[in-house]
Amino acid sequence: MRECIIVRYGEISLKGGNRSAFERRLVHNIRDHLWEFPALKVVRQSGRIVIEVDDANADDVLSRVANVFGVYSVSRAVIVQQNLDDMTQAAIALLRTRRESLLQEVAQVGGLTFKIAAKRADKMFELSTPQLNEELGARILEQYEGTKVDVHEPLAIVYVEVREDGAYIYLDKQSAVGGMPVGSAGRVGLLLSGGIDSPVAGWLSLKRGVELEAIHFHSYPFTSERALQKVETLAGILANWGGSVRLHTVGFTEVQSEIRKHCPDSLSVTVMRRMMLRIAEGIALSREWQALVTGESLGQVASQTLESIRTINDVTRMPILRPLISEDKVDIIRRARQIGTYETSILPYEDCCTVFLPKRPRTRPTIAEAEQAEETLDVDELVNKAVLNTEMKTFLANRGLNS
Amino acid sequence: MELFFDMAATTPVLPEVQDAVVAAFLEYGNPSSLHRKGMDAERMIQEAEKGLRASLGRSDGRIVFTGSGTEANNLAILGAARRFQSRGKHLVTTAIEHPSVREPFQALERDGFEVTYVRPEPDGGVLAESVLASLREDTILVSMMHVNNETGALLPVDVVGRALSSRRKTLFHVDGVQAFGKIRDSAAVARADLYTASAHKIGGPKGVGALYLKSGIDVDPIVYGGGQQYGLRSGTENVPAIAGFGVASRLAAQSIDASYRHVEGLSELLINGLMSFDGCFVERPHAASPYIVMVRFANLRGEVLVHAFESKGLYVSTGSACSSKDQRHKGSEVLLAMGLQRKECEGAIRLSLSRFHTEDDVRVALSIIREQTDWVRSLL
Repeated sequence: MRECIIVRYGEISLKGGNRSAFERRLVHNIRDHLWEFPALKVVRQSGRIVIEVDDANADDVLSRVANVFGVYSVSRAVIVQQNLDDMTQAAIALLRTRRESLLQEVAQVGGLTFKIAAKRADKMFELSTPQLNEELGARILEQYEGTKVDVHEPLAIVYVEVREDGAYIYLDKQSAVGGMPVGSAGRVGLLLSGGIDSPVAGWLSLKRGVELEAIHFHSYPFTSERALQKVETLAGILANWGGSVRLHTVGFTEVQSEIRKHCPDSLSVTVMRRMMLRIAEGIALSREWQALVTGESLGQVASQTLESIRTINDVTRMPILRPLISEDKVDIIRRARQIGTYETSILPYEDCCTVFLPKRPRTRPTIAEAEQAEETLDVDELVNKAVLNTEMKTFLANRGLNS
Repeated sequence: MELFFDMAATTPVLPEVQDAVVAAFLEYGNPSSLHRKGMDAERMIQEAEKGLRASLGRSDGRIVFTGSGTEANNLAILGAARRFQSRGKHLVTTAIEHPSVREPFQALERDGFEVTYVRPEPDGGVLAESVLASLREDTILVSMMHVNNETGALLPVDVVGRALSSRRKTLFHVDGVQAFGKIRDSAAVARADLYTASAHKIGGPKGVGALYLKSGIDVDPIVYGGGQQYGLRSGTENVPAIAGFGVASRLAAQSIDASYRHVEGLSELLINGLMSFDGCFVERPHAASPYIVMVRFANLRGEVLVHAFESKGLYVSTGSACSSKDQRHKGSEVLLAMGLQRKECEGAIRLSLSRFHTEDDVRVALSIIREQTDWVRSLL
């Protein structure tokens, strides 16, 4: 008897001609997430992926694979010979384990109720699907006392897939993270602050298959090394999901200082965000990003009113993806907890930057106002210097910093 | 170059201490064992006790080693309050104590004790009269720090200790973490019934503190178990750290007066230098330890200065973090109590010295402070 993890992918199997490339990418990503298990074989098998495991690593592999974008569901299955005796024994073994975790329910129903859901991929197999359902069910009832068939609301469903290389038997289809395989949709640059929103925005973009790089604006000494460390931790967490994340840290002190000296206080945030976008665009061109991603959510803070977004957006023609634009804060927080960035995001190491926060920021700045505010600012020079004054680090999944 | 002017936070481990710790690691016995290995380890603890006594200035009483100064403060305060609660439920402390004193008192308040928090004077010090005036018939414990960790204020523990020595039902605890090994015979001077010390503020290892208990003084334990250390602190002793603590204490005691005078000279140099800078204010209590200097820069934030200084190798602390969102620092009232505005507190930093600093160190530190504050101001 062998054990395996069955990996299913929904959406990408729809992609016609590109299907094969998508599948190869997914297999590659799965292998990458399983780098600690180099001996495992990850095999494509007619519309799904199978990973042979053993009892010692099965749970670990399962939970990792379930977090690979593009994977829709996973099952831990046993593979036995294509004969009814072996299949019956395997099914009973699985049901016995299930019974132990359902003692109360079993007592309530007066027995372990089950049904068989068989599928015959190998058409050479002697029994038809209905016959197989019937025959297996009968054998289990006979050989395992205290079981009952219930096709409507069973406590356990025994899935049986008869394939050429054997019969796959399992009880669960566990839903996985979904989305598209990272690397199948081009590359984007995330504006990553230390807050709650931007890591979630980055995660959602990864989920749609993009390769993610991140930009962080560091205003030493107004923001501390701890604040930077926090952002690096966040980049590392995103890398755990996305395979790898490159983080570009931009020295931003001079820009902030110049804004403070040249621009009206009430527009300093608007100008600062415009500068951030210009710098991000500069990096995007050299890194060949297709778009920028921000954690903006409409109306959340003064710089995220529609007027503000328009005025800030006006400095670039690059597409800006805002996956959180319509999300409520509570939902963003829930997602941040789910993906594991929340605890890091709420660490209190960023308030230093408040030294540059205006007392009364304009909440609806116009483009004309912003342009006027920037009149004495040497925008091009500052942007060029900042783009050059950038350091890059690469984070790899579950391995932390690579360079 | 590294200029560590944050010695009130912690200190580098002295080479002699390191040797003692390593030697004690190799002597692996459990002090409670009946066999010779146990006795060898026990002897190391006894030796360490002698080292502490040299700094404490007390040959009587007991020394209980703990996991930190914080734990020693907790043992003193919770232990005394619980043991003597039948005599009375009133406790006295000051409003400028370290959280490791303030928090146990607040916990006791929740348990039904009444606590008087004596307010500081505008200079950051605390008057002995204010402490003594808050005493009541049912006061069972007075706890105050010897030297304040933020301003360096030297509290009149000697006066309070003398006055309390005639009150048999009121215990006197002194948190001596910033005074032990710096002020000669610190526990004796304070006439303390209970005195807290910490190793890593004087070149010892982290993770070990001690509570001195005058003879005849007993408190309830806060850690129960195998009954080690007179039943006051169960758990196998951290022999290597304790051995290192002993050596650090002995070394501190050997040169304690000369060190004090040396550091006095350094702090004078530092203070004079700082006072010559524009927009720089030295917040100095009338009575202060030379080891700690609090300074404030107008329109700058302490946190920003910490980061600016560190880029030049100068390490300091922010002063009172009364503006910080960080919950750990909430309620630090020392500077506010000194009459400063919240905004002014934000620009405070603490420079803390050790006997190993030189005049040159201070001069270089001053030039870094001047250069970096100018630079940060130019950005604003």
